[in-house]
Amino acid sequence: MRQAARAGRAGTRAASRRAADPAAPGPRAGRAGLVAGPRDRRRTWALGYAFVAPTVLLTVLFSLVPLAMLLWRSLYGGGVFDLAPRFVGLDNYTGMLAEGGARALGVTGVYTAGFVVLTMGAGLALALLLNSRAPGVARLRAPFIIPLVVPVVATALIWANMFAPRFGPIDRLLAALGLPPADLPASPGTALLAVLTFGAWQFFGQNVILYVAALKSVPRDVLDAASVDGAGAWRRFAHVQWPMMRRQTLLIWVVTTLTGLQTFTQIYVLTQGGPDGATQTALYYVYNEGFVQFDTGRANAMGVLLFLISLLVTVAQIWLLGRVDRAR
Amino acid sequence: MPASLIARRAVVYLLLGVAVLVVAFPLLWMAVSALKTDAEIINPAAPLWPAHPQWGNIGRALGQAPFGRWYLNTAVFGVAATAGQLTSGLLAGYAFAVLDFPGRRVLFLVALSGLMVPFSAIIVPMAQLLGDLGWLNTYQGLIVPNIASALGAFLFRQFFLGTPRELGEAARLDGASELRVFLSVYAPLARPVVAALAIILFLQNWNNFLFPLIVVNTTEMSVLSQGLSVFQSQFTTQYNLIMAASLITIVPVLLVAVAAQRHIIEGITFGALD
Repeated sequence: MRQAARAGRAGTRAASRRAADPAAPGPRAGRAGLVAGPRDRRRTWALGYAFVAPTVLLTVLFSLVPLAMLLWRSLYGGGVFDLAPRFVGLDNYTGMLAEGGARALGVTGVYTAGFVVLTMGAGLALALLLNSRAPGVARLRAPFIIPLVVPVVATALIWANMFAPRFGPIDRLLAALGLPPADLPASPGTALLAVLTFGAWQFFGQNVILYVAALKSVPRDVLDAASVDGAGAWRRFAHVQWPMMRRQTLLIWVVTTLTGLQTFTQIYVLTQGGPDGATQTALYYVYNEGFVQFDTGRANAMGVLLFLISLLVTVAQIWLLGRVDRAR
Repeated sequence: MPASLIARRAVVYLLLGVAVLVVAFPLLWMAVSALKTDAEIINPAAPLWPAHPQWGNIGRALGQAPFGRWYLNTAVFGVAATAGQLTSGLLAGYAFAVLDFPGRRVLFLVALSGLMVPFSAIIVPMAQLLGDLGWLNTYQGLIVPNIASALGAFLFRQFFLGTPRELGEAARLDGASELRVFLSVYAPLARPVVAALAIILFLQNWNNFLFPLIVVNTTEMSVLSQGLSVFQSQFTTQYNLIMAASLITIVPVLLVAVAAQRHIIEGITFGALD
């Protein structure tokens, strides 16, 4: 099974090379035209439409239609209870930015930056350790997937317990060191740090796994050649592994950034955006305005910004990938 | 073995050991906390390991809330959404890669546009749309909007672009219909892709919280994650029961993860770095 999966992946890679060449002939072009008559071709068309219909129709209905509703309604006034919404131009946007929205964008920026640095740094460092030839080390990859696959609500409750004043393990440790107790998620200065610690703990395993795979893609003989030339571990990393993983690092950055931007459950359980907005991210703002305060105009305005930020990250990915591939 | 190598390996093991402990500690803390008495749990001086493990706490937590119903809801949602994502992705990926039909490119771009619209940005209109459809608090409301998988369609397309054309041609010359060619020649080839994606998609659906949160607001239709969060709001200070409830939701997933770790690692890597 595993062998087969690997073969499948190799196939995928060959395919992506082919897909990258727009001049490559369509799959059945040429021969099919000679063999199939017009009736057969119609049947192929019908099958093609039938096969893509679920994906295309459901994408239109549950991604593009809500997106259109979002853009449209962000320009209309009021909450869910307004029976006759009126056009208000950009009022929702200015109101949103003035009433906590600007702050939420700042919190999102700080959180996402911290999330990227922590999870990519830890991911790369641990992947380098797991890449060591010491016996048994390769098996230690498995524990890092655990936080990734268990329900976030459950781990959030655990972390709430860990941060609990006085009897939680963190306060116990502080007490043992003779330090005053710290209710990290409840203090405005440290709440975001608490959420970030927990969020990074939950996710960094993914970057461990991806960096392990990326390091494996660096050919061993290139590394060995560098060793023969007298390069130590640091120089092998800085001059061989890191530059050769540029493409993977870019892809990991994109996934990590989008994940950071969409952090929700951690905040929902641990702090509800508090204290006093200290952990209210853009997404939590959308949720809070839309489903708690029922000011859907502001919620939609922030939703549009969240969409645009994600789009920007995706566009940056495509642009940067093009640069990396051309540099090769 | 030279001493420097031994020293270096000792450092590797030490650092990895610390990292594994960081990963495992919260889960171990959950386990011991779940087994503490009501008095021990709020006593800062109580030993880490409970004097008399309270296995009854798990039964107490189970008795306080409809976990069975929440498990059922989560299973229905997880299985149906995953099956839907795999099936729609397999069909669309095959059609986009192998079948020739007018408008294929445009429709492929439409399918991919799903990747550009993060669900989190559209939660408010999604709730309104599902409300208009009368799908709030229903299984179809949970499942149907999650079936289209742009990533699935994309990965299956990549896979089928890499399969040899000759296989299908031979069957076609034998008079097989296009549907037969797909079912008996190409679909079985995709089994490894299905295996790699299935477990990862299932776990994502199983753990999904934000989507059920905006679609469901009744206890009866809640999924496990929602139920757990409600449980916590009712038993705010009974940390031992809350940890027992967390244990109930985590352990099955943990067992699946241990059993399927290779597929999970495969699934995480699959398509992410190509």
